Amino acid sequence: MDNITKAKINLFAVLRNIQDLCAMDPVAQEIIKNQKISVQFNVPKVGNATLKFVEGKCAFIRGKAKANLKLSFTSPEHFNKLVDGEKTIPIFINIFKAGFLLDTFTKLAARLSYFLKPTSELLADPEYFKINTYLTAYTAFFALCEIGNSDRIGKLIASRIPQGDIQLRVVEGPEMVINIDETHSMSVRKGAIDEPRALMQFSNLQTASDILNGKTDIYSCLGAGKFLIKGFLPMLDNMSKLLAFVSKYLA
Amino acid sequence: MKFKINDYTKNGELFQRALKVIPGGVYGHQGPSEGCAIPITAFPIFSDHAKGSYFWDVDGNRFIDYMCAYGPNIMGYNDDDVDAAAIEQIKLGNCVTSPSKVLVDFAELFCDTVDMADWVFFAKNGGDVTSFSIMIARQATSRKKILMLKGSYHGVAPWTQKLGCGGILEEEVTNNLYCKFNDLEDFKRVVAENKGEIACFITTPYSHPVFEDNELPNADWYKTVRDICTKEGIVLIFDDIRCGFRLDVKGSDYHYGIKADLECFCKAIANGYNVSALAGIDSLRGTATDVYYTGSYWLSAVPFAAGIASIKKMREMEIHKVVRAKGEKLESGLVEVAKANGFELIVSGEPSMWFMRLKNDYSSMIHQEWVAEMVKRGVFMTSHHNQFINSSLSDEDIQFTLDIADEAYKVVAKIHNIK
Repeated sequence: MDNITKAKINLFAVLRNIQDLCAMDPVAQEIIKNQKISVQFNVPKVGNATLKFVEGKCAFIRGKAKANLKLSFTSPEHFNKLVDGEKTIPIFINIFKAGFLLDTFTKLAARLSYFLKPTSELLADPEYFKINTYLTAYTAFFALCEIGNSDRIGKLIASRIPQGDIQLRVVEGPEMVINIDETHSMSVRKGAIDEPRALMQFSNLQTASDILNGKTDIYSCLGAGKFLIKGFLPMLDNMSKLLAFVSKYLA
Repeated sequence: MKFKINDYTKNGELFQRALKVIPGGVYGHQGPSEGCAIPITAFPIFSDHAKGSYFWDVDGNRFIDYMCAYGPNIMGYNDDDVDAAAIEQIKLGNCVTSPSKVLVDFAELFCDTVDMADWVFFAKNGGDVTSFSIMIARQATSRKKILMLKGSYHGVAPWTQKLGCGGILEEEVTNNLYCKFNDLEDFKRVVAENKGEIACFITTPYSHPVFEDNELPNADWYKTVRDICTKEGIVLIFDDIRCGFRLDVKGSDYHYGIKADLECFCKAIANGYNVSALAGIDSLRGTATDVYYTGSYWLSAVPFAAGIASIKKMREMEIHKVVRAKGEKLESGLVEVAKANGFELIVSGEPSMWFMRLKNDYSSMIHQEWVAEMVKRGVFMTSHHNQFINSSLSDEDIQFTLDIADEAYKVVAKIHNIK
């Protein structure tokens, strides 16, 4: 594990979930309802991202965008400490917006952490279960691409993934498309396409939750018809190897 | 539709039992995951019995089997002559402190059959002997590095795998070098960049990766490779585990007009009885004794007896000619049936173990659907791997396969509106 890859996961896979959290969770919506602010995160050797809050919605933008609160970190480790909940203060520009960081953002981060750290009791609540499964799936597959683009062994694995699009689908749940380009760089976006080169499909949210949380294995789900793979399987075979790295980085 | 669709109720029930006590239910290449059973509902998981070109699953469905247990079945399952030899040996003894004399009988026959073999060493699985061949090459040359083809398969030992695969340490693959098949410039470049450091070049007789077209050697490939290996002191190892006896009973190096230094065999040696073999040239005989290598069941007599019966029968019928002819007939028939239904089937590799895919099927999904329709109707194939021919396959079996292929293509054509 390296700190740069971990920071990329934290920024582009974990933090980006705030967008979806605000779309799905009424409590998060209440927290941001009167906010009109753009917050830019700058992490050396990692990159930039901007969270834009307006009219009760949140948008995550990879890269720099117009922002009225800029948070800069001295290193990937510095940023990772913040995400890990350790007491650390970023260097911020615009002191007048510091309240957002100390209040609203802290509440949002706590809410995100609540949904990404499930317990059996919490998962028994259907609404919690749904949000947890969506966020877990987004985190896993966005993180997977960061590992394929950044981690030393991850890049080796990505170099073996044939070029094309992988469709990830949870029936009646989240859909994502992972693209592997000619340089074996990986990217992921939400949504579906007509002709992917490979497909990985979970039959429902429960199956996705059980597999991604390690409660069952894909073989059992294959046998029960709950998990389907088809198409150019060398893509999925190697992608699964990257997926195994996600839990190590997020542990 | 003319053919019945299989029911797999008992297969499913047994698989659920298996999942509770066996990792993955059925692990490895014969399991539904690595075996690319797409979708799993189209495929049998457990066999009940087998004979000739067929196996029957636990639901009683019969299949013409073009995977042949991934190669071992070369003369038909439960061949009467081979089984009779094995049963006779069981009566005499199998795993005994002092090995049976059939060890020597089998070794003599093997060396008399395989052109390059001055000696032979028996084990159980293909990976046993590919690993042994690497150890011998390193011992003989005092070099660390091993050169192999990109995308080739030599078993599951750590050295055969890649960094990033489960359980593999960097130190276990750090001496691996790779080159492209049929690309002499690439081969020469890797050898030059690692001059004096390469212990061996281990290669399959031709390029037969999964999911990709198979590729036969160009006219000058092996002659040049052989010359460079000899000049540079690199041990040339043929991994003939998958191809062995299907291209030529004298060895696939013989088939392609060269002589390997070491040659690995397994699958088809004894028509399904478990034995593998490493054959070598005289100059490596001493080194083979310098490397300590053994296993609990490697000198079991029953597979040797089966191997003797198998090799005698394969030599007598010149089996490589038989399976080639049957493969050519089936290949051409499948191409015609596909064409008649609006598909272009691309066939590659040797006819006795051909690979096929559909043209303009970037994702392989249409081909996978066709294979699933074949299996559901009683013709067992895979979409990702080369198939195998066995000599018991009859003209009626081939025609039955083509009839099912026609119906399966019609089903897929209708789904995709192909005319």
